[in-house]
Amino acid sequence: MSDKPLVVENLTFKYRTRPELAIEGINLELKQGELLLIAGSSGCGKTTLARCINGLIPRSYRGERSGKVLFHDREVAEIPIPEMAQVVGTLLQDPERQIVASNVYNEIAFGPENLGLPHAEIFSRVDQVLKRLNLEYLRDRETFNLSGGEKQKVALAGVLTMNPSVLLLDEPLASLDPASAHEALQVFRSLADEGKTVILVEHRVEDAIEARPDRLLYMEDGRIKYLGPIRDLPPEIDHRQVKLPAPWVVQRVKALGEPLEESPRRKVEERGEPLVVFEDVDFRYDDEFPLILQNVNLNIYPGDLIAVLGPNGAGKSTLVKHSIGLLKPTKGRVLIGGEDSRKMSVAQIAHTLGYVFQSPTHMLYAPSVKEELEFGPKNLGYDSALIPKFVRESLSAVNMTGFEEYPPLGLSFGQQKRTTIAAVLAMRSKILIMDEPTAGQDFANYTHFMEALCKTSDGAHSVLSANFAATLFITHDVDLAVTYANRVLLFGDKHIIADGTPEEVLKDESLLLKYRVRPTSLLRLNLELLPKTGGFLPAESLAYYAS
Amino acid sequence: MLVTWKYRRRNTIIQRLDPRTRLVFFVFVILALTIPDIWDLRIILPLFAVSLTLFLLSRIEWKDIRRILPYMFILVFFIVGLNGLLSGRGGPSSVTNLPSPVVFEVPIKIPFTDIGWDIPITVSKMWFAITQITRMFTMAMLVIPIPYTMDPNIYGTAFKRMGASDKVSFTMDLAFRFLPTFARDFTITMDAQRARGYELEKLKGGLVGRLQRLAPLIIPVVMQSTVTGEEVIDAMDLRAFGTKPRTWLRDNLKYAGRDYVLLGLGVAIFILCCVLKWGFGIGGYFVPEFFLNLFV
Repeated sequence: MSDKPLVVENLTFKYRTRPELAIEGINLELKQGELLLIAGSSGCGKTTLARCINGLIPRSYRGERSGKVLFHDREVAEIPIPEMAQVVGTLLQDPERQIVASNVYNEIAFGPENLGLPHAEIFSRVDQVLKRLNLEYLRDRETFNLSGGEKQKVALAGVLTMNPSVLLLDEPLASLDPASAHEALQVFRSLADEGKTVILVEHRVEDAIEARPDRLLYMEDGRIKYLGPIRDLPPEIDHRQVKLPAPWVVQRVKALGEPLEESPRRKVEERGEPLVVFEDVDFRYDDEFPLILQNVNLNIYPGDLIAVLGPNGAGKSTLVKHSIGLLKPTKGRVLIGGEDSRKMSVAQIAHTLGYVFQSPTHMLYAPSVKEELEFGPKNLGYDSALIPKFVRESLSAVNMTGFEEYPPLGLSFGQQKRTTIAAVLAMRSKILIMDEPTAGQDFANYTHFMEALCKTSDGAHSVLSANFAATLFITHDVDLAVTYANRVLLFGDKHIIADGTPEEVLKDESLLLKYRVRPTSLLRLNLELLPKTGGFLPAESLAYYAS
Repeated sequence: MLVTWKYRRRNTIIQRLDPRTRLVFFVFVILALTIPDIWDLRIILPLFAVSLTLFLLSRIEWKDIRRILPYMFILVFFIVGLNGLLSGRGGPSSVTNLPSPVVFEVPIKIPFTDIGWDIPITVSKMWFAITQITRMFTMAMLVIPIPYTMDPNIYGTAFKRMGASDKVSFTMDLAFRFLPTFARDFTITMDAQRARGYELEKLKGGLVGRLQRLAPLIIPVVMQSTVTGEEVIDAMDLRAFGTKPRTWLRDNLKYAGRDYVLLGLGVAIFILCCVLKWGFGIGGYFVPEFFLNLFV
């Protein structure tokens, strides 16, 4: 038997339902205890390669496969499923959908139960894994009520009880706040150090570097473009496709040799009358539940582009649901355009505030984009003669003219997100609120999406500034706040901890860490160069100022 | 997040029962009412009393069920009761076939037309509505306490120990695991559409029109559930579900004396109903004299 846990030889796969090859000519060898990072933008073939490795291809996904995937010299397709589950353990992207039991202990025991192991063996395995991951405090908890980070750890524990020699982690950081992601990466590293072979599929290379991967496999168009040590990443790997540390981006921009320009200073605009006012707002769902908001005071002004940062479960979504009237304060009041939200219906408030939810699939339903965009204005009772004009202008604003007759649910994820923004634009709301606008998108797509919304050129308005008096978005991504916001709210302990410009709020590293916001390399570089720049800038723009 | 499963340990006699006992007793009560076709309120009322006693012994707090109870009352009174009162259907044919005094008539008219008719409300239909409501409550009161008082981790084991296959048994566990997820998705979708001015309470039009206008709620929830379903299948495949006879970790279910008592009661109820109906002809639908005299 070979000592190589995994060998992939000339692997090619085409899905039965698609004309093009999903992956082509993949060659790869992994050693015991190696941690491999697989990166690349959406559609590059990462997930298909992962499915070939864990055996879902060819068992669950049909198509034409050639080449080999060998575990200790045995072809993956020939290994029986019960055995396969003990060779490769897979952690899926969304732990909410991976967890199948109502209780933590049952969830972790699920795999060994399926193998028909004796009771004593199952108890022993579960207890060992609980101890190994420091999860004993969760053993009797209901899975539904766990935090995102806890769910991810429980899902990992469920995989580890199968005692696999190879761990395949498919975008495991996607639903975690930065502090939980950091903790998860430390666990992945320690598992590799203990002798597991770990494959980490992640487009956020900067974050994944914390797990100290031994090698990076970079994919484009179904092929391997680079496979080697992460530090030797060749310059042809586009820093706009995967998220690299800011100093690397600066080096790459400089290496390109293109002329660097000084960035214009961010204008400080006069504040007019507040559009939304929170006055001493307290909120709890019921008398028997604890307070979720406590003494919240906040004014939203015209021109604000606010990023709301804070840990999971801090009450960020509860805060914004008050501004759109989905929740009403238990104490205090929220004024929308000077009127108390208690006296307004959600539909009335929708004239002023539009809310884009995190997942487009929670919102999109119509057979065509046009009908999707007509839905809001019709509900709000707009003149039917004006609605086609609103729809046209909204689609044009998000660069989706021509998609009128497309079914929204058939569009790409990025297009769906833009459709949801257009749906709010069509309602002529004055304020846009977005919950995790970049969630579910890879780095290249979300950068493109945010650039399309926020970027200005030659003094022209951005999509946001031209169409909305103010914008507020909830995010875990500190770099979004650094790059795009002109105001940051740090939320935690049921109220606003800090409120100010990104430069003011994000300079206090200890405060950020206290509220589970981890400073990124972009933030650190910006703080270092702040005396020269006078304000936060994207990594590429920092190249001009970095010596 | 408001969507939480309300199961709590309460140290009640009901929770000390084997879960299989409660499920089997419920089945016996249903069978006792349906197989011999019992519509006699004199038989249904004692069963109602048994159900009510078990319900009260569950010691569910009012705050736990105050949200669900109004829906149940609406369902039983307005849908089941009103249907019984107006149409007399859903029960034995004797309800509508009996020559029964008409108490009053309800005029029904198709809007914007001259087409219409008067629905006679007879004494027979009125008594039937009362019987039907009591019958439904007798069954409902056995079911309502289950999610509040039965450990959600034990459903699968209970079904497995009653002879179901691994797949069927685990399906029960899965259903209870994903009910809160489904409820959460529904709440988010509802919020998302309300934020676009959608008002459920303002649905207009006929039945088909109303259903069509529910599409903004139904389609996203179905889509979410479909995606979730696909990923759950992958997750289960990857952990070898269904490849071998599985071990059920919590399979230490054991009948105690109290279980045999309740099971015996269930069997007795079923046999008694069958004997009364088929042996003595008691248990069919009839309107008692005193009720008839109220209107004649």
